[in-house]
Amino acid sequence: MRELTYKDALNEALFQVMKADERVFCIGEDIGVYGGAFGVTAGLIEEFGEERVVDTPISEAGIAGACVGSAVTGMRPVGEIQFMDFVTISMEQLVLQAAKIRFMFGGKATVPMVLRMPGGSGTGAAAQHSESLENWFVHVPGLKVVMPSSPYDAKGLLLAAIEDDNPVIFIEHKLLYKTKGHVPEEMYTVPLSDTKVVREGRDITVVATSIMVNRALEAAEQLAAEGIEVEIIDPRTLNPLDEEPIIRSVIKTGRALIVHEAVKTGGYGGELVSRIMESEAFDYLDAPIRRLAGLDIPIPYNRTLEYHTVPQIESIVSEVKRIVRGEV
Amino acid sequence: MKEIIMPKFGFTQETAEVVAWLVGEGDVVEAGDPLLEVTTDKINMEVEAPVDGILAGVRVKVGDVVPVTEIIAYLLEPGESLPQDALTGPVVVEAPPTGGTATPVAARVAADLGVDLTKVSGSGSGGRITRQDVEGFATGAKNGQTPAEKVRATPAARRIARERSVDLVQVAGSGPRGRIQEADVLAFQPAAADRGLVEAAIEPLPAGDYRVVPMTNMRRSIGQNLQQSWQQAPHIMFQADIDMTAVEALLVKGNHRLSPDEPKITITAAVTRAVAWTLQDHPWLNSRLVESENEIHLMSHINIGIAVALEDGLIVPVVKDANMKGMKRLNEEIRDLAVRARSNQLKPDDISGGTFSISNLGMFGVDRFTAIINPPQAAILAVGRTKSMFVPDDKGQPVVRPICNMTLSADHRVVDGAVAARFMQDLRLALEAPETMLL
Amino acid sequence: MSSAVNTFQDELARRGLSIEQAHAMLQTMMEIRAFEEMAEELFARGLVHGTMHLSIGQEASAVGLSAPLRPDDYLLNTHRGHGHCLAWGSDPKLMMAEFMGKETGYCRGRGGSMHIADVESNNLGANGIVAGGIPISVGVGLSIKLRKTDQVVTSIFGDGAANEGAFHESLNMASIWNLPVIYYCENNQYAMSMSVERAFNVEKISQRAAAYGIPGKTVDGNDLLAVRDVVAEAVDRARAGHGPTLIEALTYRYKGHSKSDRQLYRTRDEVKEWQSRDPILRFAAFLEIDSETRKAKQAEARQVIEDALTFATESPEPDVSTILEGVYA
Repeated sequence: MRELTYKDALNEALFQVMKADERVFCIGEDIGVYGGAFGVTAGLIEEFGEERVVDTPISEAGIAGACVGSAVTGMRPVGEIQFMDFVTISMEQLVLQAAKIRFMFGGKATVPMVLRMPGGSGTGAAAQHSESLENWFVHVPGLKVVMPSSPYDAKGLLLAAIEDDNPVIFIEHKLLYKTKGHVPEEMYTVPLSDTKVVREGRDITVVATSIMVNRALEAAEQLAAEGIEVEIIDPRTLNPLDEEPIIRSVIKTGRALIVHEAVKTGGYGGELVSRIMESEAFDYLDAPIRRLAGLDIPIPYNRTLEYHTVPQIESIVSEVKRIVRGEV
Repeated sequence: MKEIIMPKFGFTQETAEVVAWLVGEGDVVEAGDPLLEVTTDKINMEVEAPVDGILAGVRVKVGDVVPVTEIIAYLLEPGESLPQDALTGPVVVEAPPTGGTATPVAARVAADLGVDLTKVSGSGSGGRITRQDVEGFATGAKNGQTPAEKVRATPAARRIARERSVDLVQVAGSGPRGRIQEADVLAFQPAAADRGLVEAAIEPLPAGDYRVVPMTNMRRSIGQNLQQSWQQAPHIMFQADIDMTAVEALLVKGNHRLSPDEPKITITAAVTRAVAWTLQDHPWLNSRLVESENEIHLMSHINIGIAVALEDGLIVPVVKDANMKGMKRLNEEIRDLAVRARSNQLKPDDISGGTFSISNLGMFGVDRFTAIINPPQAAILAVGRTKSMFVPDDKGQPVVRPICNMTLSADHRVVDGAVAARFMQDLRLALEAPETMLL
Repeated sequence: MSSAVNTFQDELARRGLSIEQAHAMLQTMMEIRAFEEMAEELFARGLVHGTMHLSIGQEASAVGLSAPLRPDDYLLNTHRGHGHCLAWGSDPKLMMAEFMGKETGYCRGRGGSMHIADVESNNLGANGIVAGGIPISVGVGLSIKLRKTDQVVTSIFGDGAANEGAFHESLNMASIWNLPVIYYCENNQYAMSMSVERAFNVEKISQRAAAYGIPGKTVDGNDLLAVRDVVAEAVDRARAGHGPTLIEALTYRYKGHSKSDRQLYRTRDEVKEWQSRDPILRFAAFLEIDSETRKAKQAEARQVIEDALTFATESPEPDVSTILEGVYA
C-alpha cells in the first residue's frame, strides 16, 4: 500500500482536480513559487501557471471575496488562508456573503468554494497562529465545516469539498501535515457529512476531531491493555453533522467523552453533548458525558504550557478511566 | 385630494403622538414640506406633505396618540373642497394601557406553573408582574410542601429500573455521591427475597450441568407482565367447588345433536358461557384499572381471554362479546383461536381487548390452582379438573357428583371481597342450574 | 448639457443614442422614482415588514451607469439598490413581490429590499453590508479573466463603503491583476448621518484611485449623459483588458437613510438645493419635453408600478413548510 503524508495527500488532490476540472483554481498568500506556508500547494504553479495558482497580497477579506465572486459566477476556487487565525479578517465575506447568498437569493445561486486553512497548536507559534476556530463556522448555516484527521481523509474530503456546491471551510492541522498513511493514487472522494467509526469498542464512545482522533487512537491502545475497550468516532464533517453513528455508539457503550483542541467554552463538544442528550441515547447513558477540550485561554508560547493547554494522550487515558470506573 | 396618514416609522411602532402642527388648515404646502411633528416612543419625526396642496380636514390635535395608518388630514388641490364622505371627526384615540400587566417572561412562567395572574400582585414598574412575583406566589401556594426525595441515578439505570419495576429508592448506588448506575440496578434483588436462596441461585454450577435456553422476547415479555401484576396488584383469591352435574348433562345433550365432524363442546366453552353471563351483573369484575389516570374503567363489552399453553410460552386470545354467544359458537371460536395460537397465526386484534380471563388446566389433572391476573384486567378464573367426589345430598346422604374447583383471583384495588364473593355465588348458580341463563 | 450650442439631438447622436433610447432612459428614471414612492407609501401604511433604503434623487446615477453595459455583464449592487435593479432591466413585478416578501419575488421572499438578486440575468444582488460586494467583485473579475470572456462587472457602493478596509484590499487586487471591474462609488454625501466632509480628508473620493494605480473620475451623478459617458469609457478600458476604474458619482438622496431617520444632520435648504438639480426634471428639460407630456409619462410610470403592486399583492406568501429550503445546495 502506498503511503503519503497528509500534506502530500492534499497536494496530490489539488494536482489531480486541477488537471481534471478547468474551473478549479487556487488562490492565497504565498501559494505560488513559495508553495504555501506549509507546502501544500508546492509545485502547482509550475504545472498550472500563475493564472490558476494566484498569489495574492496580504488581503484575507479579498481572498475570501475572490472565492465568493468567482464561485457564484461558475468557477471552483480553492482559497488558502495561511493560518486559520487570519480568517478572522475574512469573516464578513464568509459569514455574511458566502453562507447567505444562496438562501437570500431564494435558493437560486450556488457558491461552490473551498477555503483551506491550517489550525491548531503545538508548533510554538503562540496565541495568534494557533487558533482552533471551527465552531465559529459551525454556527453559521450555509457553511460546511470539514476537519480531516488522516491522509486518506484529507485527500478524499478535499476532493469531495471541491465537488460540493456549497462553501466549505476545510480545516487542516499543522501537526498532521507530516503524518503518514495509506492514500490511493487515483482520485476518490470521502463523502461529506459521513461520520466514521474509527475504532470499535464496548466500554465508552470517544468522539474526537482532527488531530485528537490520532491521540484518542493511541490512548485506546493503552486502555485496551488495561481491558478498557474504547470506541472512537470521527465526525470528519462537523456541519452538517451525520449524528446517527454517534448516537448508535452511545446506546451501545452508555458512556461518552468528547475530545477537541478548541477551547471548551462554546466549543463543538457542547453541540455533540446536546445532540446525544436530545436523542434516544439519553436513556442509555450510565455516566455524565464529559468534554476534554482546550483550556479557556489563548495558546501560550512556552512549550510546557502549550502542551498542557490542549488534550494529550495521557489526559485522554485518565479521563476515560475516570468515566469508565464511575469516578465522575 | 390626497389623504395624509399617520405614517409608520419603525417595525414595531403602533402609534405616534402629535407634538406640533407646523402648518395650519388652509395653508399651501409643497411636496416634502413638514406638516407636523410627531413622536414615537423613541424619537421625534416630521410628517412631510406627500404632494403639493392645501391642508384641510385636520383630525388630530397636539397630544393625541394616533394609531399608525390612520387618516389625520387631507391635502386639497386649488379650488377643491373636502368631499362629504371624507372622515372629518376627531380620530378615536385609545387610552394608553395602564399598569397591572405582566412581563412576557412572567406570563410564560405563570402558564408553566399554573398560576392565575389575576391573583398575583406586581412589583415591577407600573405594577407590572415580574417573574419573581410569579415564582414567589407559586412557592407561597405550595407552602409546607417539601420536595419529594430525589434519587441520584444515571439515565440508563432509570430506564432499566423502569423496565424491571425496580424502585430506585431501594437500590444502593456505587457511583460518585451514591449515584445509581446500570450495574447497580442489574445486581439489585428485592429485599423480600430470601438471602440464602438468592446466593444459592447465583452460585455457579459446573459446566455441562445445564442446557442454556436463551430468554426469548415472548418469555421476557410474559415474565415482565406477570411480575408487574403480581407485585403491583394485591391479589385476593376465592375458591368454590362447583357441582358440574347439570353442565355435563347439558353437554351430553348438546353434543349428541352435533354432526360427527363438528367438534364436541368442551367444559371450557361451558364455563366461558357461564362466566360471560355472570359478568353482565358484576361490572367490577369486568373492569380495567388505569393507574396513570387514577381511573377504573367498567367495560361495556365482555371479552373473555382464554389462556392457551404454547410450546415456548403462553398466550391469551380473546373471545369478543362472549355474553352474546351461545356455547356452541363459543366452543368454535375458542377452538379456532387455540389452533391459530399454536400455529402462530393470531392477529394483534385476537389478543387485545380482553376484560376478564379464564385459565383451564383441568385437562392436565390439576385439581385446583391460582392464576395471576392479566393486567390491566381486574380478575382471572382458574379452572381445575372435574372429578367425581362424594358429596352429601339434600338429606345428608353421600352421593357421587362431578365437582370442579374454580379459583377467582381479583385485584383488591378494584374488587372488594364481598363483590368477588357475590360473583362466585352467581357463577355457581349459572353452572349448577344452567337453565337460569335462559331467564 | 455638456455643450450649450449643440442641440439635444446632436448630443444624443454624438453618443450613438436615438431619441427613443433617450426617452426610454427617462421612462426608467420615472419608474424608479414611482417604485420608491410606492415603497415608501407601503411602509407608511404598514403593508411592508422590514426596512428599505430609497434612492429618490439618484435615478440618473442608476440609469446612466447601466446604459453602456451589456446584458451579459455583472452587477454587484448596494443596499440602496432598487434603482440599479430597475435600470438593469429587472421586472418591477418580481421586485415588488420580493419587497412584499412574496413567494413569487426574485428571491422567493427570503431576501427582501436589501437582497434583490437575479443570478440568471447576472444581477448578483444587492448587499446589506457596507462594502460587502466589493471583495466579491474581485472574484467575479478573476472569474471573467479565467474564463477569458470580455464581460465586465460593476461594483456599486456608497461613499461610506470607501472607508471600509475591504475597499482597499479589493481595489488593490483588482488593479494588480487588471480585472475588468467598474468601481462605482455613489457619493450621496452621507453615510447614514456621517457627511463626506467629516469622513474624508481628500477632496474627491476618486482621488483614492491614484493609490492603486488606476484611473479615478468624479462625475455629476445627477446628469444622466455625463454618468453614461464616464462609465462607457471605463467599460471600454475594462473590456480591453486594461483593468478597473474608480468612478465617483456625486448625487443626493432626498429621503432619509432608512425609515427611522430624523435627518437632523442636514438642513431642509440643503435638500431643496439638490432638488433644484433633480435628475428627472433635468433630463426631461434637456429632451425639451413639456410639463404636460412629462406628467403623462410620470402617470405611465406610476401605472407600471401599480401593476407591479397588484401582482405582488395577489401573489402567495411563502409556505412555512419550505422554511429550510435554500440553505445548502
